[in-house]
Amino acid sequence: MTETPNYDGKFDAIVVGAGLAGSAAALSMAKRGLSPLVIERGTSPGTKNVFGGVLYTPTIRELVDLDDAPLERYVAEKRFSMLSEADETALSLRPGEWHDEPHNDSFTVLRGEFDEWFAERAVDAGATLLTETTVTGLLRENGRIVGVGTDRPDGRIRAPYVVLAEGGNSLVTERADLKERESRDHVAVAVKEVLEFPAREGVIEDRFRLTDDAGAAYNYFGEGAVGEAFGGGFLYTNDDTVSVGVAYRLSDAAASGQRPEETLNRFKSHPAVAPLVRDARTVEYSAKTIPEGGIESVPDLVHDGAVLVGDTAGLVLNNGVHLEGTNMAVESGVHAGAAIATAARQGRTDAAALSGYPSALSRSFVVENLERYAWLQEAAVADRELLFAELPRAVADAGAEYFRMDRDSKERHADRARERLLDAVGGYTGAAKLAARYRKVIA
Amino acid sequence: MHDFTVVVGVKQVPDADEVGLDPDTGRLDRASAPAVMNPPDRCALEAALSLKDAHAARVIAVTMGPPMATPVLREAVAMGCDDGVLITDRAFAGSDTWPTSLTLARVAEHLDADVVLCGEETTDSSTGQVPPGIAAHNGWAQLTYVEALDLRPEEGRVVAHRDVEGGYEVVAADLPVVVAVAFGSFEPRPAGLHRKLFAETEFDPRELSAADLGIEEEVGLAVSPTSVGGMETVQPVDRQGEVVDEVDDLLGPIREAVA
Ligand SMILES: Cc1cc2nc3c(=O)[nH]c(=O)nc-3n(C[C@H](O)[C@H](O)[C@H](O)COP(=O)(O)OP(=O)(O)OC[C@H]3O[C@@H](n4cnc5c(N)ncnc54)[C@H](O)[C@@H]3O)c2cc1C
Repeated sequence: MTETPNYDGKFDAIVVGAGLAGSAAALSMAKRGLSPLVIERGTSPGTKNVFGGVLYTPTIRELVDLDDAPLERYVAEKRFSMLSEADETALSLRPGEWHDEPHNDSFTVLRGEFDEWFAERAVDAGATLLTETTVTGLLRENGRIVGVGTDRPDGRIRAPYVVLAEGGNSLVTERADLKERESRDHVAVAVKEVLEFPAREGVIEDRFRLTDDAGAAYNYFGEGAVGEAFGGGFLYTNDDTVSVGVAYRLSDAAASGQRPEETLNRFKSHPAVAPLVRDARTVEYSAKTIPEGGIESVPDLVHDGAVLVGDTAGLVLNNGVHLEGTNMAVESGVHAGAAIATAARQGRTDAAALSGYPSALSRSFVVENLERYAWLQEAAVADRELLFAELPRAVADAGAEYFRMDRDSKERHADRARERLLDAVGGYTGAAKLAARYRKVIA
Repeated sequence: MHDFTVVVGVKQVPDADEVGLDPDTGRLDRASAPAVMNPPDRCALEAALSLKDAHAARVIAVTMGPPMATPVLREAVAMGCDDGVLITDRAFAGSDTWPTSLTLARVAEHLDADVVLCGEETTDSSTGQVPPGIAAHNGWAQLTYVEALDLRPEEGRVVAHRDVEGGYEVVAADLPVVVAVAFGSFEPRPAGLHRKLFAETEFDPRELSAADLGIEEEVGLAVSPTSVGGMETVQPVDRQGEVVDEVDDLLGPIREAVA
């Protein structure tokens, strides 16, 4: 028994990273009778994961029984808020239907707990999970990817397929030239804190107007949220903590020399935000990157012996209105796993044999949504000054004018409010252009 | 073929990094901390494996605990131990350092150990009594706070550096010997990838019960002599302090104090 067996070729596939995409791929393969090995660098899945928030569950619920999952709260309210330096103008949505199952498939989670639970489900189904092991490179033979190297002694292992699910900061994939390094314009830096409220019970329910398992997802835009950068802030309620964070373009972060934690602190002390996080104690702080290049930045998804899934494949919708990566990570993992199972049945590992994955993905909501919103990011970046600085101020001012209490007539108030708005957007022509440009958000 | 058997005692403890002070009550919160291998035991494992590097030795990790403690044995096997033994029995419940060291002493005999290696103490109870206890129960030599270890098979003994105040001393002891390794002196090696896979997916520890060792009547709470006399929380004393503006202003008070 002193002999160490060699595990080359003992697993059907190696999955790099036990995040949502990696565990979904492993689960998808295990359910089809394959035995994948998942390699995760953290001491347990999720410990290295930063995530502010809302897990979208339409795909994951098909894979696992979410009744036992460590979900924090369902999202009962979505609130979009524009912040200037001193003002807030907000729109809050609380559809009654969100209180009922399946709660619009939106739940706040803490990834440290959720990812561990999800990875365990993959293990239950037949996957093997190896933690505290970092993949450092890919093994190639005649151009084909045949395994991975790790940071451990005797650290190489071979398997017919490698699933790259290492998240947004995809060093292994980039080093292997399977993907170009994202330009700074296409990467957001995100910092997040988890806050608890030690003073008394019920603080979260009271401040966010919640009962039972209901939760809130607040999104913030504008100068008051992230200063002169393209991005936003967020506040999500967990069971007894709150996740608060900011995410903005890496190029802006570098340009303005503003440290992410300073930006977060400024956001937390905005007059409209500070009362929500008063008397809180920070229990966790973390920072990460979010790919936001959209469909343009999605690299080739299949190679001889390898596939790219989740954030590694750039599958994140981040356009100001939507921040969705969790659903895409799971959806891509499922399709990739299915394609590998099909290829394995044919005894093939070439890219063409794996093409079921990209074609399934392009028929799914993932590619459809990324394509649909490709323009939004670009447009919003171009209009940053107007959308994030001018408009929040103008809307707040117009509101103040409209409801002004003095001895002038209501008509005069309305006139002044209208003038203030038109002034900001460049008159009626400007307003019409703006409306035309952004109508696709809802049309 | 191996000529020597090295037995390493390892223990599962609450992760000291995660054992927080509950900020509200000021009490230690151990329950929520995950279980990990006692960090000093990793040094003992490294010491054992370095003996194996140099000699034809067989290294066996042993732990006393419920089946839940199996992961520390897997970790030991992943690092390179040849085998792992779980000493598990309801009869052990409530054992203090006396029956615990008796048990480990019997296990060492049972496994025909030439060298028993332990960490210098455990982070959850910090008595440091178990390694000397094993030696005492078996009438073997003991070396504590060992920083370096040289096994000399032809002489039938080991030569060790012991950490003593102000330096180290070089001592030799005849085999069999119990060695407690100084924490921090043997940097534990990382587990090899394939070995770790083996340890986590295929390895199952051998189990030994109190009956296997013939000590059913000699272990457990009833025969544990330790009794806790009581606990006292000590209030910190106020220290005298004075803030000075200039470095030079320090000189006077210091002179006064040392005069
Ligand atoms: C602050 C923030 C807020 C967000 N908010 C939302 C939101 O509200 N809703 C939403 O849907 N999405 C959100 N996203 C996006 C979402 O988090 C990602 O799209 C999703 O986590 C992608 O999953 P993944 O499995 O591809 O990657 P990840 O979740 O990043 O998982 C990658 C895993 O791989 C491991 N790993 C990395 N490199 C290696 C290596 N070399 N060897 C071994 N293991 C490795 C990591 O430790 C990690 O466990 C947010 C992202 C951030 C940063």
